[in-house]
Amino acid sequence: MSWFQKKDLGSLKTPQTGPAPRAPKGLKIGPLLSEDVILFPPAGQDKTAILESLTAAVCRKAGLTAPALFLAKVQEREQGISTTLDTGLSLPHARMDGIDGILAGMAILKTPIPDPKQTELPIRVVFLFFSPNKQESFPVHLQLLRGVSSLFQPSLIDRLTAAAGPAETLALVRTLEG
Amino acid sequence: MLSFISFWRASAIVLCDLASTAYYIGGIVEQAVGKSAPWFILAVMAFSYTIRAVYMESCSMFVRGGVYKVVKEAMGGTLAKISASALMFDYVLTGPISAVAGGQYLAGLLNTLFPHFRIGWHLDPNSFAMIFAMAATLYFWWENIKGIHESSDKALRIMQLTTVMAVVMIAWCAYTLWLHPAPLPPLTLNFSPEGLGWAKGIGWLKPVGAIGVTMAFGHSLLAMSGEESLAQVYREMEAPKIKNLERTGLVIFVYSMLLTSLVSFFAVMIIPDAVRIPHYSDNLLSGLAMSVVGPHWARLLLQSFVVGVGVVILAGASNTSIVGANGVLNRLAEDGILVDWFRHLHPKYGTTHRMINLFVGMQLLTIVLCRGDVYMLGEAYAFGVVWSFVFKTLAVMVLRFKNREPREFMVPGNVKIGTVEWPIGLTLIFLVLLATASMNLMTKRVATVSGSIFTAVFFGVFLFSEKWNERHHADAHDVHEKFNLREEKDLVHVRGEFKKPNRVLVAVRDPGNMLHLIKALDELDSEKTELIVFTSRIRTGLGLVIDEHVSMDGEEQKLFTKVLEVAEKHGKTVTPMLVVSNEPFYAIAQAAQAVGASEVVFGASAKLSTDAQLERLAMTWGSLQTDKQPVRFRIIGPGVEHAADL
Repeated sequence: MSWFQKKDLGSLKTPQTGPAPRAPKGLKIGPLLSEDVILFPPAGQDKTAILESLTAAVCRKAGLTAPALFLAKVQEREQGISTTLDTGLSLPHARMDGIDGILAGMAILKTPIPDPKQTELPIRVVFLFFSPNKQESFPVHLQLLRGVSSLFQPSLIDRLTAAAGPAETLALVRTLEG
Repeated sequence: MLSFISFWRASAIVLCDLASTAYYIGGIVEQAVGKSAPWFILAVMAFSYTIRAVYMESCSMFVRGGVYKVVKEAMGGTLAKISASALMFDYVLTGPISAVAGGQYLAGLLNTLFPHFRIGWHLDPNSFAMIFAMAATLYFWWENIKGIHESSDKALRIMQLTTVMAVVMIAWCAYTLWLHPAPLPPLTLNFSPEGLGWAKGIGWLKPVGAIGVTMAFGHSLLAMSGEESLAQVYREMEAPKIKNLERTGLVIFVYSMLLTSLVSFFAVMIIPDAVRIPHYSDNLLSGLAMSVVGPHWARLLLQSFVVGVGVVILAGASNTSIVGANGVLNRLAEDGILVDWFRHLHPKYGTTHRMINLFVGMQLLTIVLCRGDVYMLGEAYAFGVVWSFVFKTLAVMVLRFKNREPREFMVPGNVKIGTVEWPIGLTLIFLVLLATASMNLMTKRVATVSGSIFTAVFFGVFLFSEKWNERHHADAHDVHEKFNLREEKDLVHVRGEFKKPNRVLVAVRDPGNMLHLIKALDELDSEKTELIVFTSRIRTGLGLVIDEHVSMDGEEQKLFTKVLEVAEKHGKTVTPMLVVSNEPFYAIAQAAQAVGASEVVFGASAKLSTDAQLERLAMTWGSLQTDKQPVRFRIIGPGVEHAADL
C-alpha cells in the first residue's frame, strides 16, 4: 500500500494558520440515527447494493430528492483509501454541498460480507454518513469518524448483529453512549 | 535513543584533555626551552582561541566535522587519510601521557607521605605510573563501552573538582607572591640539546629570533592538545549547536588560560630553580604546592588535594581521547575506509565496542612501551595534533573557495576584493601552524620519527581497508549508521521509558522528505517533550505482528541514518522506532497511543489528499483508542500545514 510523504504536492490545500479548529464536545451518534435509517439487508447483498439502500433511506428521511448525487459522492470516496476497519465496521462517508448537518444511517449484516478493496476484511456493520462540505464542519466530520470507530468495537457489533430489529439496535447504541 | 549533551558537559570532556596538560606542560617545555617556558605556553593558549574559530567554521559546515571529513571535502581522500592518521597518533598518545602523568603525581605524593606514616616503602615513579595509567585506561574503556553520556557525567564532576583546586591554588600562589614578590620569568631562550633536536648541528639557527621563537612555540604546542576534541563532541552537543560550541570554546579558553598558563608562571616564579626541574619536572604542581607559603602540614594537604584532582583529571583525559578516537574511527568507517566489522554495535550498550577495544589496546601498548616516562611521551605527542591542525585549517581555507554557501560561523579577518572574499585570518593561522609543524619536524626528533612511522602505518591500514571494502562491497561508500533494534512484544512497555510529560510522534517514510521532522525538531522543547521518530514496515496479513528477529533492511537504515543526521544537526534527542504492521495508519495510531503521544506529525502525500489522510487516521485512532486522551494530528509539507484535534 502506498501512502504519505511524496514530493508532488499538487493536490494539497493552502496553508492554515492559527490553532486547529475543534469539534464540539459531546458529539453523540445515537441522536443521528432513527429506526427508519437502520437497515437489516438480506444475505447476498454486496457493499454497493447496501450503500445504495442506505443512501436512499438517509435521503428519504432528510427529504432530499437527489439520492443519486449522494450515492455517486460516497462511491467516489470508496474508490480512495479503505473505509473498513478490522473491527468489522465499514464507515463510508462523503462531504456534501447543500446540507447543513450530519445525515447518517446504519446497516446491520447478519451474514458478514467481504470488503471489495480488502477482501480479507469481513464487514458486519456499515455506518454511512454525509457531512457538510465546509471547512468549519471538517472537525465534526473527523470527530464523528473517530467517535463511530471508537464506539463500534467488536463487542457492540456482536450484540448489534444479534439484535432483532432497528428499535433494539438503536436502544443498544443509545444505552452504550449513555 | 540518540541523546545530546549540554555545553558544560562538552566543555568538561574537552577540558579533561586540554586542562590536564597544566599538570605536565610546564615541566616538559622548561626542559626543552628553559625558564621562558611560561611565556610560550601563554602564547600557545592565546593562539588556541584561533583554532577554536577554525573548528567552529568547520562544524558549521559539517555536523560530523572532524579532520577527516573536512579535509576530504576540501582536498580529497588521500590527504584526509593522512590527516586522520596523524590525529589518531595524537589520540593514542593523549590517554597515556595524561594517565602516566597522573601516576607520576600519585607516586610522588605517596613517596612524600610514606615517611610521615612511618612506612618504609619507596615507589619507583615510572613503574607505578605505568600500572596506574593502565588501570585508568581500562576504567575509561569500560565507561566508553557503556556510552558517552555516562562518561560525560564523570567528566563534569572531574572539572567541578578541578575548578575548586584551581581557585585554591591560584589564590594561594598569589598570596605567596604578594608576601615574597618574584620577577616574571625571563624571555630569553635556553634550549637543551634535546630541545634543539636535529637543529643542534646548525647552531646559527638559534639566535635568529623568529626561528628560535618558532622552535619554542613548537615545543609548547602540546599545551593546546585537546582542542581537536571540539569536533568530536560537537556531534553530541545539544541545540543550539554552534552557539553551544562557541560557549564551549570560550569556557575552555578562559579555563586553560587561567589554569595552564597561570600555574606555569607560578611554578617558575615560586619553585626554587634548584629543585624545580631536578625534582619536580614530572609533577610540577606538586612542587608548586610544596613551595607556597604556609606550615608544612598545610602544604602537604594542598599537595594531596592537587594530586587527588590531578589523578582524576589526568585519568579523565584518557576518557576524552577514547571519545575522540572513537568519533574519528566512526567517521572513517561510515566513509567506507574501515571494514564494516569494526562498526558492530555492542549488543547491550549500542556502542562501537570493537573500535574502542582496538584503540584502547593501542593506548595500553603505548603505556607499556614508554615505561612511565612522561617526557618521552611529551616529545612524541605534538606531532599528531599540529599536523591535524595544519590539514584542518588548510581544508577550511580551501573550502572557502570550493563551497561558497553561507556558513553559520566564519573565522574573522576576511577581506572582500571584488566578488572574492579573501580569508586573511585563516591564512595567518595556517601559516603559523605550518611554520610550527615544519620546525617541529627538525627539533622534535622523537615526535618526527614515531609520528611519521605511526602515521604511515595507520595510513597504510586505512588504504588497505578501503581497497578491501571496495572489492568486497560495491556500496562501500554508501554505508549507513548502525542501529541496535530492541524487540518489544508489546509497545505499551515502551511508554514507561519516556520520562518527559509530553510526547510527539513523527512518522517518517522517505529519507528525501524530512521537512515535517525538521519542523517538529525546530519546535521541540527538549526539556518537556519526547520526540519519537517512527516508521513502519508493512507486511501483508491481519493484525500487528512483531517478528521474532527483526533487523533493519537497507532502506530502513538509510531512513534512520537520515533521521539521526537531522537530529544531530538540531542537537535534539530523538527515539527511533520501527514497527511491523499490515497497515501504515494502524501502525501510526497504535504506536502513538502506546507511547501516549499528544501530537502525531506526518508528511504530506501526493497520492492521498490531506483530508483523506486525516479521515483514515481518525477512524483508525478511534478503533484503537482505549482512553479519551486528546491528540493533534499534523500534516506538514512544503508551504502546507494541516492540523486536526481529536
